[in-house]
Amino acid sequence: MQSFNKKTGRYIGRYKNYDVYSNEIVRISEENKEDINKKLPGEITFNYGPSAGGLEESVNFNIITPGERINSVRVDSSFKRRNIKILNDSVDSALLKVERINGYHSASNSICFLLAVENALNIENGESNNKRIIEIELERIRSNLHVIKCLAESAGFSIPEKQLSYLIEDVSRIISTVFKHRYFFGANYINDVNGNFNNLNESILKIKNEFMVIYQDLLTSKIFMDRLQENGTVRDMNSTGPAARASGYNYDARLDSSSLYYESYKIFTGSSGDVFSRFMVRSDEVFSSIELIENTEIKENESKNKYDLNKSGTGYARIESPQGDLFYHVDIKDGRINDILMVSPSYLNIKLFEKAMPGNIFTDFFFVWESFGIWISEKEVNFI
Amino acid sequence: MSQWFLKGIKKGIKTEKNFDDKFKPDYPSRLEGKSGYNCPVNAIKNGEWDENKCIYCGKCDLKPTKDEKIYKINDKLPKMFKKSLYIYPLDSGTCGACNAEFNSIFYPQYDANRFNIFLSNTPRHADALLLMGVYTEKMHDVMIDALDAMPDPKIIIGFGSCALSGGILGSSINEKFNVEIAGCPPDPYTIISAILKYKGGVK
Ligand code: SF4
Ligand code: SF4
Repeated sequence: MQSFNKKTGRYIGRYKNYDVYSNEIVRISEENKEDINKKLPGEITFNYGPSAGGLEESVNFNIITPGERINSVRVDSSFKRRNIKILNDSVDSALLKVERINGYHSASNSICFLLAVENALNIENGESNNKRIIEIELERIRSNLHVIKCLAESAGFSIPEKQLSYLIEDVSRIISTVFKHRYFFGANYINDVNGNFNNLNESILKIKNEFMVIYQDLLTSKIFMDRLQENGTVRDMNSTGPAARASGYNYDARLDSSSLYYESYKIFTGSSGDVFSRFMVRSDEVFSSIELIENTEIKENESKNKYDLNKSGTGYARIESPQGDLFYHVDIKDGRINDILMVSPSYLNIKLFEKAMPGNIFTDFFFVWESFGIWISEKEVNFI
Repeated sequence: MSQWFLKGIKKGIKTEKNFDDKFKPDYPSRLEGKSGYNCPVNAIKNGEWDENKCIYCGKCDLKPTKDEKIYKINDKLPKMFKKSLYIYPLDSGTCGACNAEFNSIFYPQYDANRFNIFLSNTPRHADALLLMGVYTEKMHDVMIDALDAMPDPKIIIGFGSCALSGGILGSSINEKFNVEIAGCPPDPYTIISAILKYKGGVK
């Protein structure tokens, strides 16, 4: 994987002046200027954010509307842009920062970064493969439950919202019991994961049973379904994660990337590309992640190698984080980070949200936003 | 909607009367002991540990105690807020985990509302501004606007190592806080314990 001028594989996203495809990185001359939507007579611009009740993170929405119907939305995610000083750091020190790029998807970020480092320095990492899968699938369960909870909240369904919140907290407690930290900070190392996996299957079974009841109850609610169906519809080949799968694209790095090996995994796809379809894909993935955890055998690492990281090399990794493709490319010189590039799924998911919104009305706004599971923290990172 | 009500009732009371201590995380919690480790954020200086600087990375020899009381109360809460405290969270530059942990105090296990701790949807109706994340240029102005919009008296809560000291990612957005809640991120036990202490409640 290097920067050439051809575009091969599917589009993953952009970091600064690089476009990343699944098989190539392409240098672009400059960040394309966004086309600013011009207002038509009778339209007004409505600003929402960057800090307002109902928004979990700081982000600003520029909404163009003649009244009820939304004609266009532009997302300005730059408010909380963080300059993260990482160049010239050792791998250990860089890892502490990578863990904190998106705390809600910290396991995915840490593991993807470490896989890229291992790739760069030719470090054999098969032994930790299964533990890493379990970690990422636990993170995916919580992330998908969080999105579904936000959908219930947007629909004003406070009882399932609270039931889902309860489950999310239960998953956080499971993570904390296994990894000593509710967000996996400190759990990941070069070719190793620090966790006590005893009793994990038992606790995860409880989550499966409880979620099944909530899921079936939601599916029998005509009002809930009605709020979700034919809302925020989008179908675009440049998409990623559950949003791509909800509109029929079978994109999934668990199957089409060699960075982390999944023995078997069945992709769930929808077809309508609306909020309901994204809800269905995410719900299916809660169950499939639980199944993956149950069926993944944990082997303790036999080699307790101390790895010599004081080397040089270039490497990359791409994994399926809870909301889609996550990509890291690192260049290491004498054990220090010489260059780093990261593309998170929120880049494409924000673009999809902007495409999905026109034609919807204000009351649909939060459904559509929440259904993409966007994290601004991972979108607005400037490595220095 | 009535079917949901009945389903909710059937589940019984899920809120924990006494928080279930067995789920308290190791990190963050009060650390104790001695360590000569070269801490990445200088949280160990001359043998003294600084809970606000610590990012609870677990790399040193200091031992986690599961004691959640890692907060500082710097003044007395104005009397008028003793009955109810409305908090407006403001994300300056977080990784998202601080946001998630603050929200979790309203989850059924903890139900912060029962302690008269509420979320405010606007700084205009807030008693306290809860600041989280590192300093970022554009959010600094937003913070000033939010503080201006709040009625007096107002309280500022510093939340998490990024807000309190800059953590490992940057610098702090503010210098003075009425309450300092440490952690990376602070967990629900610490958050509720800190706010209740400030309100003069027990926990
Ligand atoms: S836990 Fe980490 S941040 Fe805290 S004192 Fe130890 S080394 Fe420093
Ligand atoms: S204090 Fe820690 S958890 Fe909170 S925003 Fe900063 S890095 Fe994230």
